[in-house]
Amino acid sequence: MQRRHKWKLIMVNIACVLTLCSCVETKQLEKLGLITAQGYDLEKENEIKGTVVVHKFDPLAENLTKVITVKSHTSKALRQEQNLEIDQKLVTGQLRCVIYSKELAKRGLSQLVDALNRDPTIGNMVYLTVADDDALSIVNIDQSKLKVNLGTYLYNLIKQNVESEQLTSPTLHEFNHNLQDHGKDPVLPILKLKGEGVTISGIALFKGDRIVGELPSNKLFYAKVLYDKYKSGTHELGFNRSHFKQIIKNQGRENKEVYDRLFISIDNIRSHAKIKLIDKEKLLFRVEVTLDSRLLEATEPLDLTSTKNIKFIEKKINKEMESQIKQLLEFFKKKQVDPIGIGNEYMANSREKPLSKKEWRELYKDAKFEVRVDNTIVKTGVID
Amino acid sequence: MNVNLHPKEGILFSAYLLFFVIHGVQTGVGIVGLPRIVFLEAKHDAWISVLVAGVLTSIVLWFIITMLKQYDSADLYGIHVDVFGKWVGNSLSIIYMLYMVGSFFIIFMNYIEIVQVWIFPNLATWQLALVLIFLTVYAVFGGIRIIVGVAFLSVVGTMWILVVAFVPLRYADFSHLFPIMNIGFGELLKGAKSTTLSMMGFELIMFVYPYVREKKKSMKYVQIANMYTTFLSAFVTLISIVFFAGDSLKATIWPVLSMFKIVRLPNLERFEFIAVSFWMLIILPNMCLYLWAASKGFSRVLKRKQKTGVWVFAILAFGATFFIQARYQMNMVTDLVAKSGFYAVICYPVFLSIIVLVKKWWTKRRNSHAKAS
Repeated sequence: MQRRHKWKLIMVNIACVLTLCSCVETKQLEKLGLITAQGYDLEKENEIKGTVVVHKFDPLAENLTKVITVKSHTSKALRQEQNLEIDQKLVTGQLRCVIYSKELAKRGLSQLVDALNRDPTIGNMVYLTVADDDALSIVNIDQSKLKVNLGTYLYNLIKQNVESEQLTSPTLHEFNHNLQDHGKDPVLPILKLKGEGVTISGIALFKGDRIVGELPSNKLFYAKVLYDKYKSGTHELGFNRSHFKQIIKNQGRENKEVYDRLFISIDNIRSHAKIKLIDKEKLLFRVEVTLDSRLLEATEPLDLTSTKNIKFIEKKINKEMESQIKQLLEFFKKKQVDPIGIGNEYMANSREKPLSKKEWRELYKDAKFEVRVDNTIVKTGVID
Repeated sequence: MNVNLHPKEGILFSAYLLFFVIHGVQTGVGIVGLPRIVFLEAKHDAWISVLVAGVLTSIVLWFIITMLKQYDSADLYGIHVDVFGKWVGNSLSIIYMLYMVGSFFIIFMNYIEIVQVWIFPNLATWQLALVLIFLTVYAVFGGIRIIVGVAFLSVVGTMWILVVAFVPLRYADFSHLFPIMNIGFGELLKGAKSTTLSMMGFELIMFVYPYVREKKKSMKYVQIANMYTTFLSAFVTLISIVFFAGDSLKATIWPVLSMFKIVRLPNLERFEFIAVSFWMLIILPNMCLYLWAASKGFSRVLKRKQKTGVWVFAILAFGATFFIQARYQMNMVTDLVAKSGFYAVICYPVFLSIIVLVKKWWTKRRNSHAKAS
């Protein structure tokens, strides 16, 4: 009796599992249109224009990607409108990249980003970007030349640059984190059309969820030094040639004298940036940057055989970097943005009530910085 | 009714398994939302709050075990009768049974809500509830040894999730933790109080105790289990604080699952799907033990078969699923159970054990007086 009872229960369980399995929504790959990239533009007041790049898995279809553009007020209503124009169900699980137009970013992104956060099917590692003019033109680039679909292409474009330490990672998670943190502001890369492709022209600086400034790509190195604590890629530094006269190898090429600038390219292996609050009353911060780098290239043959010369170069580089970093910090302060998280550092060191974002901005206006760079050239390549 | 319960030798289990039982029943759906709930009260010092809560529960556990040691082999139902007499004692037992059914109910309801939000938005509540309840009933019919086995498998089988919790540290901003201990003591305690939902479960030792073979060792394993749970909760809370910005942690309903969103495996884009599915294994011992302990009351208090109790409570819980439609209703019920849990789990056992200890001391004194005179 006992045994039979047990078997009955097992049968009921199995029956439940078998019959109820079909109750949940099934999603067959062939019947889905996977959105891989989304673009948002400001159409007019209160109306946004949404564009999606859809990847299809139809074995018979020739054109595997499709671009749909519609207009509406919220991003989910856009999806419905877009769904009307396609024979497959649109899903966002494979979304890789979202592009916002600069016009839209100037008016605030929080509502649109919130829609991404609310949706559990969208991953946290989606890249957010800002289009230099409008998102539509980027989504509409000639895709026949691309080997992969646009979403994956843009994703790889950013990922590759993040991995080679040229760009700070612009994932949805980091954007959210920095947007919500009281002592930090988000940054996003700016995409620009160049010929038939897309290029990253710099990073957009956000004050809250609004774009207020841009940092051109050649300044990214310093932002990266301060922002990411591990590595910061390659950078080219320009110097006055006359300052280096003593260590330039004279190889009889007098004609080089015409150039008055000397450029040195270094590759940063390790870096560590520390922001310290020294004086709370005066709001004085000390930014200490320690770098280990390799000398990659110099536009003049430099004599690197003696330690003294290398020390000399290090000193020059330190000085140059210090002034550049200081300039950058002043620039951030002027724009009232804090992408480095100086506010977080301030709050971590003050035992008072945590500041609100607004209170920090008031304080930030009076912040002063002291920059110290300690750069060590650890390698000079295979030749001296 | 007998105060002491003497199960057959064959269905007793070893004391070290108590570690899995207590830890398994403490970690459940509560821990998924724990960081946020504590953060709301204790801000960036939430992890300290969790540690404080762990110390407090450990003290409560000391009280409970000391109370149980006063008896030969009693459970809460027996102690109730011994202390309060038949009528009051049994009424208190029935109230405690209702609390346990309530816990049973909110555990699977909260889990179903997670599944609906994260994976299947169109899934009807009763479908998954039916499967989960049948599974639990099946396990409970197997008896206490099977339930202990489920707890063991659940703890061992889901330990690896702890490793995954290290991944979010890549995006950590440790400046969020400072300044440490900047929050008032009141807030710290309030935060500790809000951990009730994820700390509760240890009260079931009062029902499992008669089935432990080496009863002397139970204190040790129960305390270790509680320490491990505390460590785990504090660790998860700490990671959430450094991973999320304060304001977004306040708004994230299930911070632990949201953190898993950034985990990516080469051939699996979205790790949280696996995490949500595995969570069923984590909540299974909770459901089993609560249903088992509540239905045990049927045989102990109401003198009916325990099986009847299992079916009655299962059908009751299943029927109740139809009354919960929206998230705010779910919140209300969860809050209600968590609040009553605070009294049923923290305050009441301490109160009861003090009564028991005083009573023992009193009878001892009277006996020795009687002998002396």
